[in-house]
Amino acid sequence: MIYTHRSPALLIIGIVMLAWGWLNQSGAADGLQAWLHPGVYKEHKQAVEKHQAAEKAAADKAAAEGQPAAEAKAMKPGKFDALKAGQAQFATIFGGIFCVIGLLVLAMKPKEGHLDYYISIFPGMAFILSIAFVVRWGLDPMFANWGKAALPTLGWDFAKILNLNYVVLGIVIGMIVVNVFRIPGWAANGVRTARFFLKTGVVLLGTLYSAAELAQLGALSVVMIGVFVLGSVWLVLLAGPRMGASNSMTGVLSSGVGVCGVSAAVAASPVVNAKAVDIAFTLGTILLWGVLCMFIFPTIGHLLGMGPVQFGAWAGTGILNSAQVAGAALAFDPHGIQTLKVAEIFNITRVLFLPIIVVWLAAWYVKREAGAQKINLSQVLVAKFPVFVLGFLGLFILSTMGVFAPAGHYQGKYFSSTEIKEDKLLKEKDIAALQAALPKVTAPEDNRALQDLIANKKLATREQDVLLRGVAKMEGLDKGAKDALGNAHKAAWHDSKIIKAYRDWIAWLFAFGLTGLGMQITVASIKQAGGKPLIIGSAVGLIKAIGSLIVVLLFVREFV
Amino acid sequence: MAEEEKKFERGTQLSIFVSDRFEDVGALIAACLIAFGVLLYVGK
Repeated sequence: MIYTHRSPALLIIGIVMLAWGWLNQSGAADGLQAWLHPGVYKEHKQAVEKHQAAEKAAADKAAAEGQPAAEAKAMKPGKFDALKAGQAQFATIFGGIFCVIGLLVLAMKPKEGHLDYYISIFPGMAFILSIAFVVRWGLDPMFANWGKAALPTLGWDFAKILNLNYVVLGIVIGMIVVNVFRIPGWAANGVRTARFFLKTGVVLLGTLYSAAELAQLGALSVVMIGVFVLGSVWLVLLAGPRMGASNSMTGVLSSGVGVCGVSAAVAASPVVNAKAVDIAFTLGTILLWGVLCMFIFPTIGHLLGMGPVQFGAWAGTGILNSAQVAGAALAFDPHGIQTLKVAEIFNITRVLFLPIIVVWLAAWYVKREAGAQKINLSQVLVAKFPVFVLGFLGLFILSTMGVFAPAGHYQGKYFSSTEIKEDKLLKEKDIAALQAALPKVTAPEDNRALQDLIANKKLATREQDVLLRGVAKMEGLDKGAKDALGNAHKAAWHDSKIIKAYRDWIAWLFAFGLTGLGMQITVASIKQAGGKPLIIGSAVGLIKAIGSLIVVLLFVREFV
Repeated sequence: MAEEEKKFERGTQLSIFVSDRFEDVGALIAACLIAFGVLLYVGK
């Protein structure tokens, strides 16, 4: 079978990407970028004006003193320059690669074999990546601007509440492409790389964790996940036979609904001798329910004013499928990674319950089906356990040991008093506000920490930070003092450069994977979810979602 | 001839890999390459 289509599509995509890189590098796209990023552009314009005024003042001073004018200093690149440089670099690298392979596709006479197979993947990958570019660099900031612009009229930011960010827009555009236009033949093979990139993103997430944060989430995560995973499996096993579903259908559905969707359903299928139709119906149910949750969860999260830790815990417990957990977490918090991290910790924890579920299902199935074949459970586990989870754990261990970032980092940030820059020290008005608040802080330890902060104009130790975070939440403290404490906290916590790089990689891997995932959600797959499995799965899914929401709201607190 | 054709029918409906296990291992290797590549390029 020949996989490569001799189409100029890849070359065209490559040329368009190279053109976008050049437009950004030359400054020709500045007008468009300024329209898409008005806040960053305003800062850039102010910095340019300030720089020009300083240059002019220096030149005037030199002229007045009869000295020759000093050489003009180059302006330090700001956020706007970094934004353009990043896009230019990204588009040029990928544009170049796609142009070279695009020419190869047109020039070569494909022969059946591995080379043909691997080359056939690139046009589809370029297709997804170009959509991810448009969505992340164009539609995402555009909707964010429209949401903010409509705020005074509507009273709410529709883009934020409806989660019209790059994740949701990517999936929606993917769904439109597959259901309205169909995926072009030349792109079909590349679209199937989406799940691989999602899994890669999940493994790489391990670099962002350290035991410090897992210690705070760990026990709660394990107890919550345990209760909801095992409870959901039990509910499906109870409801399935009563509603007339076959044992094999019930078994696969229970694993899919209880653990982590698709992989769990597939892993459980040999244990309960499932037929292809059982797996297909289960996957359809999980997919439909997962997509619904992905759209509904972030909106409810915003309406209830949930923080990243709370929402991450809820999504990681209540949503059935790993990909949709990531989608909902990113939709809720598209520009940070905190929610995604918490959601993935909960999500990954539930994968670890798979061996228990498999053993349970085997026992349940054997008991119900007197004539079931003997199944070797250890063989099923070795064959079906998702190995990429081990990669996540491996990178997490290395991260905890401090291989990638300062060992004490929390969500990619680390505390350092010595690295606080001069311009980040507390200002006079902050000091005045804190001095006014001093008599209200009666606890001796807190009062001493506040006095030290006032004296040093910065936090000296992490213990001080912890104490003063508590003070900032005190009732009766005025806004000026709260803001000052917030500024001191922000100044002492630094972003790790390497963690920022990992975050970028993960965001792109997920943007790519989820856009591709959208291209796999066909109307047919949604229709396939009809019937009994949909009713059972949705009922259990709803109980799980509501139950976990209540538990999260009652017991999970933000701690940073 | 029939065997030759079958040899190059690769991937599954949702993956370019011959099995989920291959995909898992591939994702694991890719993520490690990225993790250590970034560590070398950006530094700690």
